[in-house]
Amino acid sequence: MLETINLTKRYEDGELALDGLTFKVEPGEIFCMFGANGAGKTTAINLFLNFIPATSGTALIEGIDVAKDPLKAKRHVSFVSENVMLYGNFTAIQNLDYFSRLAGKRNLAKKDYAAVLERVGLQKEAFDRRVKNFSKGMRQKLGIAIAVVKDAANVLLDEPTSGLDPQSGREFLEILVQMRDTGKSVFMSTHDIFRAKLIADRIGFMRKGRLVMMKTAKELAHEDLTDLYIQYMEEQPGQPAQPAASV
Amino acid sequence: MLRDIIKKEILDNITSPKFVFTFLLCTILILLSIYTGVTNYRAEKKEYTAALALNKKNMESQPNYQSLAGIGIKVSKPPQVLGTVVTGIEEAVGRVAPVNIAADPNLIDSKYSSNPVFAVFGSLDLMFIVKIVLSLFAILFTYDAIVGEKEKGTLKLALSNDVPRDRLILGKAIGGYISLLLPLLIPLVLGLLILLITPDISLSGQDWARLLLIFLMFFLYLSVFFSLGLFVSARTSRSSTSFLVLLFIWVVFVMVIPKVAVITAGQIRPIPSVHEITAKKDAFLQQIQSEGQKGFIEWTKKNAAEAQKDVKAYQEKFRKFIQDYQQELTSKIDENNAALERDYQQMKRAQQSLAVNLSRISPASALTFGSMTLARTGIDDFDRFLASVRAYKPIYTKWINSKLGQSINFQTGEQVQIKIDDMPQHIYEPQWLSRSLVRTIPDFALLAVMIIVFFVGAYVSFLRYDVR
Repeated sequence: MLETINLTKRYEDGELALDGLTFKVEPGEIFCMFGANGAGKTTAINLFLNFIPATSGTALIEGIDVAKDPLKAKRHVSFVSENVMLYGNFTAIQNLDYFSRLAGKRNLAKKDYAAVLERVGLQKEAFDRRVKNFSKGMRQKLGIAIAVVKDAANVLLDEPTSGLDPQSGREFLEILVQMRDTGKSVFMSTHDIFRAKLIADRIGFMRKGRLVMMKTAKELAHEDLTDLYIQYMEEQPGQPAQPAASV
Repeated sequence: MLRDIIKKEILDNITSPKFVFTFLLCTILILLSIYTGVTNYRAEKKEYTAALALNKKNMESQPNYQSLAGIGIKVSKPPQVLGTVVTGIEEAVGRVAPVNIAADPNLIDSKYSSNPVFAVFGSLDLMFIVKIVLSLFAILFTYDAIVGEKEKGTLKLALSNDVPRDRLILGKAIGGYISLLLPLLIPLVLGLLILLITPDISLSGQDWARLLLIFLMFFLYLSVFFSLGLFVSARTSRSSTSFLVLLFIWVVFVMVIPKVAVITAGQIRPIPSVHEITAKKDAFLQQIQSEGQKGFIEWTKKNAAEAQKDVKAYQEKFRKFIQDYQQELTSKIDENNAALERDYQQMKRAQQSLAVNLSRISPASALTFGSMTLARTGIDDFDRFLASVRAYKPIYTKWINSKLGQSINFQTGEQVQIKIDDMPQHIYEPQWLSRSLVRTIPDFALLAVMIIVFFVGAYVSFLRYDVR
């Protein structure tokens, strides 16, 4: 489970990047967070991964406060970033092997890696090719393979579908659905409203560091997400987030 | 986990084009430098042996002691076997010190003076390659060690796991350093094999110890630039900025500080020029020669009556007078020259010491002075050699003066055939390893301090590094 309680981040230059963010992602749930650039989505992920310290509030992974015990908390989370280049001189399998070892998975054989790479939709010919020759879509697949191998209970994704072609995007969503179906808590920051609508159990809108709206998939069933997106991105909210059923 | 990080770092480096490039260039340059060093040493050794034989033959062929006193003798400095790896100032400073009654010994006949084109580009010895080329490679291996991973996104990905930052930086440092040493060690071992199999080169146990210490100094020097690279890489947010900053520091360390230190020392502690000292010596020599003439005339006038009475007794007295008088005059010259030289050397040493200490801010200077001291091709060694020749000069002067007095045959007017078997020999004791080691302690210590400072800087910076 992923949870933030009144999480606030103010940078040294005075910019308020996150303002009392509170939400929870339950096991077996995909939570998609929307927001313009600079809204605070990535800051929330950076706080979950303890890359930056919070000004106030708490970020919890499986109930562990990431500020107090970051290493223990990170054991329970996988991360897929927007545009990871990986090690260009390594093959897909070498990259996967290294990050799996960092994640504590040491006893995996080449066939295990091949199975994961196949599952995320990477062509077999690419397994032993140097990653520097990969397209963005191929690298993203490898990134998700790294998260799959770690097999953590929680997954953080920072705009993972940006720049993916339709086919790769669809394969990517299928994997996220599989993850949810195995009981993982998935938090995805994205601009991709079309893909998010297909898989999200809940969505949230962020503006200037605040969560200004949160709705369940059921609530969204009869609404046009594009209109909502435009409405919440343009509107001056003045109101805190509307509580959703699952929060 | 540490092993995995080290393994990854090595694999990432050795599969990169920069490793292949570094390895090839290192192999070519190191082997070329050792080959050149060996060839030069063999030629110098031959030249040295020939010079000794020629000097002896030249002395023996002199018709009399007057003639021998006129030409004097030439003391040659033996070439140092470790000059094959650290040429030092061997090629810039003279290899021969002429010793005669009138002049004060100085080193002449350097390789650069006989062929100035060598001075234009300097020598391609192993120290030069380590100091210039390999230090740049150390920067090339580390400038993007941290910041490059940030740009690739791999740092975020790695640290999204339960990987302690201290272990990551340690693994990167160890792995990176091993990757840097690999292209260096293989050609170095091959170079040592060349030294072992070359017939004219024999390394004593002490030479091997010196060689190992020189290599240790090379590794420390490269470690300075390696840890500096890590430090700068952990302080910047763009690899291009990191590279530019490192390049700037490299230029300052390797090119600017050593030269500025010498110029500054010259300004702070100026010394008279060699010409001024020579002019003073010449003036005193002329004064003594003039006094000598007067003394001789006075003596002959005073003893003219004796020459009429008993010729044989007069000749014996004259012989004694000449011998003592010559010795007295040369002693005066020697004393004066020694005093001038002592003052000059004292001032020069003070200036040198200031220049050396100022330049030691730069690791390149610490490497240069330390490795030259260990190879016995530095300023110390030449000063010691010159001092030994200067100490030998009065011994030689005394011998030649005694021979001059004995060689006059007043009866026949014939000159006595010269014999140089009893001529005192110049002895030069090279510096002992323990003494060299003591002299290089500041250099080793400075390099070690720089490594610690830069590595701790890199370590602390990485613990606080913004990986976003």
